[in-house]
Amino acid sequence: MPLAAILALILLSALLAGVLVFRPALTVHPGGKILAFGVLFFLPLFCLMAGVDNEMERSKSTSFCLSCHIMEPYGKSLHVDDPSYLAGAHYQNHRVPAGEACYTCHTNYAMFGTFKAKLGGLRHLYVHYLKTEPRPEDIQLHEPYNNRECLHCHLGARSFEQGVVHNADPGTLPAVKADKLSCVSSGCHDLVHNVGTLDEVKFWNEGK
Amino acid sequence: MRRAQHIHGSLQVAGTLIILGLGVEAVCLLWSRPIAFVIFAGLGGLLISAGVLLFLYALVFLESGNGGGSGPAAAPPRAQL
Repeated sequence: MPLAAILALILLSALLAGVLVFRPALTVHPGGKILAFGVLFFLPLFCLMAGVDNEMERSKSTSFCLSCHIMEPYGKSLHVDDPSYLAGAHYQNHRVPAGEACYTCHTNYAMFGTFKAKLGGLRHLYVHYLKTEPRPEDIQLHEPYNNRECLHCHLGARSFEQGVVHNADPGTLPAVKADKLSCVSSGCHDLVHNVGTLDEVKFWNEGK
Repeated sequence: MRRAQHIHGSLQVAGTLIILGLGVEAVCLLWSRPIAFVIFAGLGGLLISAGVLLFLYALVFLESGNGGGSGPAAAPPRAQL
């Protein structure tokens, strides 16, 4: 539901609720009772659900994640002009939706993955407001990156299944698929954000 | 009469809580910061839920006359002829 529609609905609900606050005697009549049910039960809950849905969608956006100061270098790393930088290559080539780049790679493609990702976001807020924030380059993932998130898109893809390096050793692909060999392990796709070295790289200017 | 006033009072409080909750929700929807979601769900959700629950309480317990004896007095017994 568009934000403008939700805001209009909120305004309408608040106005109607205001009518009941100032004229509660309206509820004496059957029409007033129906109005009260709509205004004090149905509409507020509908607005709440529409608002939660809107907030959840917004929280998936790249701009939302990068709105925190500490995430700025991570946003910058998406523009590194070097295809070996995993995050930048995915973002610049639209292997992930550019508008939801952070969420697409950092959500959990299992049951309740979105919920888990949002709980992780709450943890970030907790640390941001109530603890001492680490430096951007010291930020660690909550748990080791699971290959499942990569395989969600790459499994079955020709470049993955028939890739020369992936097939150089017959044990590599099964180990990757079983999450026994991490995609981002050393010597493989280990250049991800690398925010500590951003002052040594060139940046892509998005064709501007 | 007293019961009607009690119901109206509850509806006014419920309406006020809901208006406040909706206000918080509107501000948070326009404020695009991560903390806005927490305020939206925590404060806005709490106010709206409290308002809705109070309305339901008024509807179920006060409207049906089980609101702690505040309803009108029972009709006086008929005079026996």
